[in-house]
Amino acid sequence: MKDMLEPENIANIPSHIDAELLDSVDVERFGASRPPGLSYQMGGCGIAGCIDLTGGRISGGVIARMLETMGERENGLGAGYACYGLFPEHRDDYCMQFFFDHETAKAEVEELLKGLGTITKDEKVFTQRVKSMKPPFPLVWRYFFRPNNKLEWRGRSDLSNDDFIVQLVMHINSELEGALCVSSGKDMAVFKGNGYSYEISKFYDLDRYSGQMWISHSRFPTNSPAWWGGAHPLSILDWAVCHNGEITSYGVNRKFVEMAGYRCSVLTDTEVVTYIWDLLVRKHRLPITAAAFAMAPWYHDDINRLDAESARLARWLRITYKEALLNGPFSIIVGKRQPEVTMITLADRKKLRPLLCGLSPDRKVAYAASEECAVRVVSPNAETWTPNAGSPMVAMAGRGVLRTGNELPFQGGV
Amino acid sequence: MAQTEAVKRRMELEAPERFMPVIDASLCKRCRKCVNECSYRALDFVDGNVRPAGGCVACGRCINVCPAHCIEIRQIPSQFPPHANFNERVRRAIMSQASTGGVLLTSCGTDIAYPVMFDEMVLDAAQVTNPAIDPLREVVETRTYVGGRKGRLRVNEKGPPYLDEDPGPIIAMDMPIMIGHISLGSVSYNAQKALFMAAKELNILAGSGEGGLHRDFLPYAKNVVSEIASGRFGVTGDYLKSTAAVEIKIGQGAKPGHGGHLPGEKVSAMISQTRMIPLGTDAISPYPHHDIYSIEDLQQLISVVKESVEYKVPVGVKIAAVHNVGAIASGIVRAGADFITIDGFRGGTGSTPRIIRDHVGLPIEVAISVVDQRLTKEGLRNRVTVFAGGSIRSSADMIKAIALGADAVMVCTAALVAMGCRVCQQCHRGMCSWGIATQREELASRLNPEVASARVVRLFRSWNEELKEILGAMGIDSVESLVGNRDRLRYFGPNSKIAEIMGVKHVGEGWG
Ligand code: SF4
Ligand code: SF4
Repeated sequence: MKDMLEPENIANIPSHIDAELLDSVDVERFGASRPPGLSYQMGGCGIAGCIDLTGGRISGGVIARMLETMGERENGLGAGYACYGLFPEHRDDYCMQFFFDHETAKAEVEELLKGLGTITKDEKVFTQRVKSMKPPFPLVWRYFFRPNNKLEWRGRSDLSNDDFIVQLVMHINSELEGALCVSSGKDMAVFKGNGYSYEISKFYDLDRYSGQMWISHSRFPTNSPAWWGGAHPLSILDWAVCHNGEITSYGVNRKFVEMAGYRCSVLTDTEVVTYIWDLLVRKHRLPITAAAFAMAPWYHDDINRLDAESARLARWLRITYKEALLNGPFSIIVGKRQPEVTMITLADRKKLRPLLCGLSPDRKVAYAASEECAVRVVSPNAETWTPNAGSPMVAMAGRGVLRTGNELPFQGGV
Repeated sequence: MAQTEAVKRRMELEAPERFMPVIDASLCKRCRKCVNECSYRALDFVDGNVRPAGGCVACGRCINVCPAHCIEIRQIPSQFPPHANFNERVRRAIMSQASTGGVLLTSCGTDIAYPVMFDEMVLDAAQVTNPAIDPLREVVETRTYVGGRKGRLRVNEKGPPYLDEDPGPIIAMDMPIMIGHISLGSVSYNAQKALFMAAKELNILAGSGEGGLHRDFLPYAKNVVSEIASGRFGVTGDYLKSTAAVEIKIGQGAKPGHGGHLPGEKVSAMISQTRMIPLGTDAISPYPHHDIYSIEDLQQLISVVKESVEYKVPVGVKIAAVHNVGAIASGIVRAGADFITIDGFRGGTGSTPRIIRDHVGLPIEVAISVVDQRLTKEGLRNRVTVFAGGSIRSSADMIKAIALGADAVMVCTAALVAMGCRVCQQCHRGMCSWGIATQREELASRLNPEVASARVVRLFRSWNEELKEILGAMGIDSVESLVGNRDRLRYFGPNSKIAEIMGVKHVGEGWG
């Protein structure tokens, strides 16, 4: 694997970090290519997100501070950020951001894209060498892509543009060696990699970006390799998911998305969670509350306490989507852009992993994080609350906090 | 008794006895209870003493009734000169066939020591990175829904979400267990009543078996899966509609390719009435359904049955596990079945040719996994409920069957053992001394339905508690998250090819 990245700028480690301690994890490291023999990865983590509810913009420095504050929740084997409302001038093109291990992979991807549509613009994503980070450093490149009008993919001409992009990303990630599409949504992008949260924010120089919403993640994997592709957020189309937890039903959930045509290439439970959101909300057109209920449902006995109409829906969600139930501890922050930039949070139905939400005193910015310190560090006087187990908090740009996560299922109009 | 030369000759060549009741004469009270209770007439009272009379099958009834606790049943050591190839089992079969000149009948599941893959797999548990759940303190759910699913729910997109109506008929069971199809005929009225009572009490399903439902059992109909077998005995439209679900029986694990077989000995007046057949005649069902010679025919029958029950109850299909079970199951789902029952080759029966019981079919462990993988690959697994049976002996078997890909298990023999059955494998003779597999009034009355049902209830409740313990240990709080979760199983046997086929990793292989 060739080290592709020629360092232009060198960033130093922030002064509050003791450089001596950073060398302790000695593992094999991987860029875009999947580590050999990898079949499943798991871990504990820190998550944070913020969204400007008025349509204003938030600088990358804000989310970086939120995430870095929870330093105990990471061990240097992966961190990442997703930013929404990032490319207003290209908002109608799919922004496909890639890791490449070598030029051949890049050339292959370009050839593929050119055959299937128009690359309206492409550019190297700004990165800089961070002293404490170790190779490999995959090349990070982004393409603004518009699929052909007359689409055909493997003999199928009935695919919507979104479905086509899903198929294309699955194809690239599982078939093209040395290339990994890390995000493919419109007006959003994922910045992630192998390192501590502060290393990744420096590596991409997040201060140079601002967007309507950021979600982020730092990893504490227990037994998985240091792989750039395995870092969060995991993303497909305009969905991005940051996930702290370990899904004990992974085998079942994976079957569920594979039956619907998704191919798991990153092999984390987060990848599967991302596809479940896409399947339930985009493809099956479930409201967010119903999709969240399928993933973290009430107990059968509690369902009987709901009004008759809600109980019927609840029961059938459990029956129809029993393979979508995410068992085990988790808290997630989900980003999406359609119809508006939206942040969703969800914790498992026993609330085994922490999750806290917040609102700035001027009610302009909503926050979500694993720990309260992450909110306080950027908004000391924010109003904070903890959503109920299995109940989504939904915050939408331009519309405010539609749901706090303390309501009954299916309430909140989303 | 004067014996003809021929009979004498046969006696000489008959295989030696296998079991002998031994009575301690110093303790015996000479009450003759054992003599009267032995339905096989293996005990005699001669000159003031109890004496073995031959033909003991080790059903153990005498031991349980003896007030002096002075009976022991000995397995008579092999009388055959050792030969590993022509072993005792082989020689006994030859001798019986030479005597009878017929197909040897037997019952229960095969007694051959085939490898049991359930015993060669171990389960996973949660440690550190996810918390185990204590089912005594936290909710761990085992409710299992039975029926077809659409794979997608259409919910209105504007306003608060709701559903206009149920998307189809569905049944909730409190635990992933169904009592299998044990027909009235193969077992006594009291035995079937006990099973139905237990199913009702546990809120689970029980199969009717072939031959319809006795009038008295209508109160249990909401817990009964009625069966349409090739003989069509006792099947009427009203009957089907009154039960919880309908199952078209194509095959049975203990006798794939064979139809039901109820020996004439068991066709009493009551049986002749419910099955609508003459008294004392063998009720032998055709091997195939004579209106199903192909998958299209099955599809038509499923449609006809669904029409006749007005789409009010789920309609399923039961097949024996055979080598091509994956493709067959896929065809059955495409033909419209709401549930499939797969019966493995170690499964039990009330009567079957021994050659089929012992040598035909597929072990259920492999069948479940193959079917689950095939249906998943074809995007059909979330359309159907899969039952798996064929020697589910314990909660461990049940849990592993679910992890391999079954939604629920079907259990027969274990329920009978709970009621008193000793697996003596004589059901086909209709003389069951425990009052289970018999139609003789004096024997059937030995089984008290209340007592027997309470024992079945306790057995399955304990299995369900054990299921919760295991789920909790795995960090799973609802049983559906175990269905087909083969990641949580590891193979620990001698044949890694089997593990590969089942899609189960070997012990020592981690997750990543
Ligand atoms: S039941 Fe026991 S005590 Fe009574 S006759 Fe038989 S062996 Fe003797
Ligand atoms: S039911 Fe009766 S005859 Fe059949 S095996 Fe059990 S004890 Fe023996």
